[in-house]
Amino acid sequence: MSNLALLLQDVLQEPQLIDWEWIRENFWEDIVPAVQGHIFLSFVSVALALVIALPVGVFSARYRKVYPPVTFVTGILYSIPSLALFAILISIPGVTIGPAPVIIALVAYSLLILIRNTVAGLDSVPPETIDAARGMGLTNRQILFRVELPLALPVIVAGIRIATVTIIGIATIGAYINGGGLGQLIFDGISRQFPTMIIAGAVLATALAIIADLLLLSLERYLRPWARAGRT
Amino acid sequence: MIEFRQVSKTYPGSDDPVVKDLSFEVLEGEICVLVGPSGCGKTTTMRMVNRLIEITEGEILIDGEPNTAMSATRLRRKIGYAIQQIGLFPHRTIADNIGTVPHLLGWEKGRIRDRVDELLRLVGLSPDEYRDRYPAELSGGQQQRVGVARALAADPPIMLMDEPFGAVDPITRERLQDEFLRIQEDIRKTIVFVTHDIDEAIKMGNKIAILKQGGVLAQYDTPENILSRPDSEFVSSFVGADRVLKRLSLTRVGEMDLEQANGGTSGLPRISDRMTARAALSELLGSGQSRAVVEMEGENRLLTFEAIEALTSTAGQSA
Repeated sequence: MSNLALLLQDVLQEPQLIDWEWIRENFWEDIVPAVQGHIFLSFVSVALALVIALPVGVFSARYRKVYPPVTFVTGILYSIPSLALFAILISIPGVTIGPAPVIIALVAYSLLILIRNTVAGLDSVPPETIDAARGMGLTNRQILFRVELPLALPVIVAGIRIATVTIIGIATIGAYINGGGLGQLIFDGISRQFPTMIIAGAVLATALAIIADLLLLSLERYLRPWARAGRT
Repeated sequence: MIEFRQVSKTYPGSDDPVVKDLSFEVLEGEICVLVGPSGCGKTTTMRMVNRLIEITEGEILIDGEPNTAMSATRLRRKIGYAIQQIGLFPHRTIADNIGTVPHLLGWEKGRIRDRVDELLRLVGLSPDEYRDRYPAELSGGQQQRVGVARALAADPPIMLMDEPFGAVDPITRERLQDEFLRIQEDIRKTIVFVTHDIDEAIKMGNKIAILKQGGVLAQYDTPENILSRPDSEFVSSFVGADRVLKRLSLTRVGEMDLEQANGGTSGLPRISDRMTARAALSELLGSGQSRAVVEMEGENRLLTFEAIEALTSTAGQSA
């Protein structure tokens, strides 16, 4: 932390905050791999989290008794500070530092949001729509895949949006245990007292989060043509 | 034909049945209206036909076969289903909604498309205008039309309708009822129709089953007989003190036996032959006259209080 304080002093005195020369020279070698690594970490984590959260969410919506314990456990995971979670994970025998524990932690953070939104999405399906579907002879499976999930999808995607943005932020800390990604630039910048790297890392992480948010927002809208139609 | 044989339904954990020992038949091509106060088990009774609710005791035969002879989903695809809340799929277009069951049955695309257009025209919606819209873009009345069209899609011989016109204003409801009766004249479906509104029951039903608390059948008969000869105190109070007037609404002026008018009809109120005898009576009372003129088949005929009264005394016997 004293490093950081010193650095802030430097930053304030530094006449040239961004060393464009450095960026040009290290663009392909440092910056692009860091961005790629960050996208990889976030994408893989959200994807894995979804693979877990969707079935758990559907199950919790069906068997209501399961839902409180599920939110309890995932709520605890969500509330552990990220640095502490990384520390806990790498202290487990067999877990080495690197992307793996980072991804595990990021998945753990996304579960609560994704499961909650899956359940909320399924809850938002009008009961009479399900009754009509059943009355017309759709099987339970067809009701889930053709009626419930499509109708819940916008809410689920809204959850993916929040989870993704959160994860892109937390993933920077993963560099602390050698997870790679944009955090690497930031941590290196701090230890070298070189603000250009910190700013590059921070700006790019923010930009990634904003881009992901906008992309998922348009996906959310795209998945709800019927609501758009209703408003006109 | 649908046959209820000593059908009872008791929910687990409850001692009192919601439907008790129900036996009656719904004849081919007839509308049977289940009516009664809330909690009388009328919706439960209807939902046991397509096994949305499973029977505890007894059986329901459809064309002689127990409705448990095939899987519940196969059974349901053969039975049209329309409910008050409509339950259109909000994420599907009107055409997709109507085509749901044909699609499940594996019809070809072209056949489904033609059927959808045919049904939209049948329920009075222009196919070109509505086919590609989403339910949210339609008014409540239009949605109910689509709900009925969807129930009719695969041309099922049997239809279950649970207050299918319940969610709209009275004027629209009346129009939908009239239109449906007109459609039913052609399609002749065997229909189980649930309502809590005795007036709707009288209007829509070939037969009315009045249920009372605990799912017990109080009376099963034609609207005429229910109004003229209620079996019990419960039935007569349920149909209301104005049951004589209600009987008048079963007859249209055009169906009445009226004397020819020989001149002197100027100044008398004119009444349409499409009007019910009940509405005609109201018109007559309101006009302050004792007679009115009805034009029937190009002739002027006289409608009098006596003619209306004759209707109330003979209706019971003739039925």
